This record gives sequence, C-alpha cells and structure tokens, in this order.
Amino acid sequence: MECELSQLKVGFVGAGNMAYAVAEGLLKSGDISADNVTVSAPSDRNLPRFQALGARVSHSNTEVACASRLLFIAVKPHLVPTVLGQISPHVTRQHVVVSVAAGVTLATLEELLPDGVGVVRLMPNLPCVLQEGALLLARGSGAGPGVESLLKRLLAPCGLVEAGPEGWIDAHTGMSGSGVAFVYLFAEALADGGVKMGIPAALAQRIAAQTLLGAGLMLRDCGKPASVLRAEVCTPGGTTIHGLHALEKGGVRAAVMSAVEAATERARELGRK
Amino acid sequence: MSVGFIGAGQLAQALVKGFTAAGVIAAQRITASAPDTDLPTVAGLRKLGVNFTTSNKEAAHKSDVLFLAVKPHIIPFVLDEIGPDIEDRHLIVSCAAGVTISSIEKKLQQYRTSPKVMRCMTNTPVVVREGATVYATGTHADVEDGKLLEQLMASVGFCTEVEEDLIDAVTGLSGSGPAYAFTALDALADGGVKMGLPRRLAVRLGAQALLGAAKMLLDSEQHPGQLKDNVCSPGGATIHALHFLESGGFRSLLINAVEASCIRTRELQSLADQEKISAAAIKKTTLDKVLQQPGVSEASVGTRSRVSLFRNGVKKQ
Repeated sequence: MECELSQLKVGFVGAGNMAYAVAEGLLKSGDISADNVTVSAPSDRNLPRFQALGARVSHSNTEVACASRLLFIAVKPHLVPTVLGQISPHVTRQHVVVSVAAGVTLATLEELLPDGVGVVRLMPNLPCVLQEGALLLARGSGAGPGVESLLKRLLAPCGLVEAGPEGWIDAHTGMSGSGVAFVYLFAEALADGGVKMGIPAALAQRIAAQTLLGAGLMLRDCGKPASVLRAEVCTPGGTTIHGLHALEKGGVRAAVMSAVEAATERARELGRK
Repeated sequence: MSVGFIGAGQLAQALVKGFTAAGVIAAQRITASAPDTDLPTVAGLRKLGVNFTTSNKEAAHKSDVLFLAVKPHIIPFVLDEIGPDIEDRHLIVSCAAGVTISSIEKKLQQYRTSPKVMRCMTNTPVVVREGATVYATGTHADVEDGKLLEQLMASVGFCTEVEEDLIDAVTGLSGSGPAYAFTALDALADGGVKMGLPRRLAVRLGAQALLGAAKMLLDSEQHPGQLKDNVCSPGGATIHALHFLESGGFRSLLINAVEASCIRTRELQSLADQEKISAAAIKKTTLDKVLQQPGVSEASVGTRSRVSLFRNGVKKQ
C-alpha cells in the first residue's frame, strides 16, 4: 500500500447506500481523486449518483478489482462468496480488501481470497449516509497497522472511526448498527408522550428528533459523561427527576442493555452460519 | 456547657455514645430522662456515665442544650411539661421527624416570649461518629446557637444547615438510609453465603464493600456513574451483575423508598399539626408515667382534650 494517496485507486463492488456513504466520505477527505474511484453494480439503477461524484462506473466486478488497490466489498452478505469467488484471481498482496458485510467473518473472507491478502472488516451504521456514522474496523492478519491508520484517515469524514479486535464487531452491531433503531423507537415513544399530553403528532415528532439530536451533540461535544449531563439537567424536585423516576420504574436501562445483548448475540449467531 | 436529653431511647444513646467518643462533652455533663427505666438503652446510658432521671423537668434544669429525643407524637406532652422550666439560656433541639419548628415555638411561647428552638434530623450512625445531620434554625435562635449545635453534631459525622422545608427529604434519604443499607447488606451477605462464603465473612466483606465505596465517592469529584464504570470491565462479572440489578428495577426501588419515607414523614407531621392523634398512636402507659411525675398534673400537662380519650382508662393521678 505504498503510494501517494492522490494516486491511490479505490474500488467499490456494490453500489448501495453503504457504498455511497463510504465513497462520499472518502472523497470529502480530499486525499482521494474521484477519477481514481471505480464502482461496479449489476444494474444501472444506483450508478448515476456515483458518476455525479466523479467516479467511474462499471458492470464488471473484475474490472473494479483490477483497477484498484483499496477494494470495498459492499454487497449483501449472501452475495459475498460469489463476488469474492469472481474477483479472487485478480486480487494480490498489493490489495487491501475491506468488507462491510454484516456477519461475514475475517476467517471467511481470508478463506475466499488468496493467502496473505490484507483483509479488513468494517462495520458502519446507517447515519454514515449523513456523514455521522459510527464505524468500527477489525484487521485480519494480512493487514498491518498502516492499513488501520490509512482507513481511519480516509473514512474520518464518515463520522467516528475506531479500530478493535474482531470480537467487538458484533457488539458494535448490537449497540450502534441496531442501536440506531433503538433510538428511533425511543423517539417514537417520546413523541407519543407528547401527543398524550396534547401536542399534535407531526410537531411532536419534530421536537423528539431535535431533542435527540441536541442531546446527542452535547453528549459528543461537551466532554462530560452522560451521567453528569443527566445530573445537571435535574433540578431538585423538578420535572426531569420526576420523569426519570418513571423511566427507572419502567426498567428502561435494563431493557436497553438486553436489547444490545440480543442484537449482539444474533450477530454472533449469524456469523457462525 | 451541659447537654440534656428528653427521651432515653436509641437516638439519645447513639448521640451520647458519639459525643463522648468524640470527647466533645464529658458524660457527667449529660443528663437523660425517660419515664420507663426498663429500656435497655437506659442501662446503656447509665453505663456511659450519664446522669439518668425519670424527671423531664430535672433534665431541663440541668442542661443548656436540650435535645428532644422522643417520638414525634410525644413532643406536645413533653413541651407542655417542661415549658415552665425553660430559661433564656436553653437551646431546644428537636430531633423528632415531622415536627415543625413553628409547632414547637407555638407551644413554648405560652411560657416564654422568645424560646430558642432548632430542629435537626440526624441518623443512627452518629453512634460510630459517621452520622448525617442537617439542622434548621428557629425564629429566636441565632448564628451562635447554630454554630454550637453544628460543633456538637459535626463531632459525630457530617453536619450542615438547611432550610426547614428540606428536612422531610433528608429524613427519607439519610434518616432512613441506614435501614436501606442494612437491608442491602443482609441480602448481599445472603448472596455470599449462597455462593459458598461463611456468614460472618460474608457480612464483613459486604459491609466493607459498601463502606469502601461510600468513602471513594465522598473523596472523589466524580459522579457515582463514573466510579461504577471504573469497576465494570467489558464483558466482565460486574456488568453482568449490574444488568440483573437494573432488570430488577434496583434504582427505581431506591428512589421509591426515599420518596415513601419523605411522604410518610409529611403525613405524620400533618396529623400532628391537626392534633388528631389516634388512641393507638399514644401508648397509654407512657402517658400514665408522665402523669406520675412530681409536679405534673393532668391540668399542667394540658392534655384535656386528649385525656378525654383515656378518661375511663386513666387510673393514677
């Protein structure tokens, strides 16, 4: 992987939302040149927006593999073996292959590719499409620390990019991949509460969304842990502490922990199949 | 300075043990009174070298700072009894849950224009000098009186002044708090025993764990949530256990407990304010014994309306 970043050729097999999110972030970083990016997909449906970014498009996965050194595999998990089977003859130790497929282990990826090829698993989440994702990457044995720093740098515009052992990827799926849906559930409930207390649904939903957004930004940017921020909002005998008591009575904390656990266990199960 | 206690029960004993251990006052300068000499705490107080008497009036005469350490529903009787004996020097400190300063001042003002009254809420760990005490200052008590009380109570733990309207909440939290802790410790020990520890060791370790945790929190600038995070290694034993606590609604149970105790305190206070005390609430024998005191008559105790509940039962005059 030794070359100038401006010369680095990047490929995407698969042109769905996740591929687009990653491509967009990559190009935003300014290090990669758009005409060094190639994208393949079976149909034309998703390709125009990549072209709008300045990338080259194709219907041939093999062409993309040959034309790139940093190769993102962004197809649905059940298609991964087929795709890797196709491109494997064209993948060399010059390549780094990054899979965003949920539940496909490094072991599986390494098995399907030539020996010694650097392989990385990347678990993004949905808000990547707004460049506010939480991404966790895990390196296979063929990918060195340089690959990690390269990816962290290139993907930085996508949101939070961290690295860890493969064992964390399922938990990250549970917390943050599925976690996004847990937050949506909370938003729905918050809005329902508002409706119960007299606010029209549409307005309640917008307020709920902004409340989550604002709270999330404070949590990310204020440098204080959630427990401290929570304590700071609670005036003695005030409205918030009364509401929090109701939440505690509902065992919300335990339910959330259980949700993360259930999603993680399922990710592990899927990974074993 | 001399200190008196009207009431010689758990609270009086705990405070006396604490004060004497702290050396803030000598046992001989303490007087305690109660009508019932059979109480085990009376023996305890005598052993500590405290002057014991069955006369509340004597306790009042012999003290400068006079703690009212009787049950809340007894307070009105006691005040009527000692009212005539209160001098300018006296600082009356009521420890009775739910009894307001104004209700005490109202009673005492029948005998004295500017009675110095303070109200405190403490807790039993004063006995080991780790009490949690708050106090509120009455209309005629001044800064010096507050400092004096604070000096005494700070010798047996933490002490700070608060607005009177917060005292019920304090009762719910640190007044009742030790009971919550004892219950938790009992259960923790059970957990230890279930997993194979001998009981004594389990109790010892459980208590030390809570003691240590409390000390860490008091010494730290951090939020308890952060201290918790520091103990929970990823995927480890502790976080698994905490999940169980959360599933059981541990946090909400504790919030409920503090709330229930605070609300009950307010209820009792409002019952007392209405001076509607049920027959069951007043132990007849206590009243009998109060009436046995030299110089005390039914009239002087001022229980006319209440004695009527007992007219048929009151035998001794």
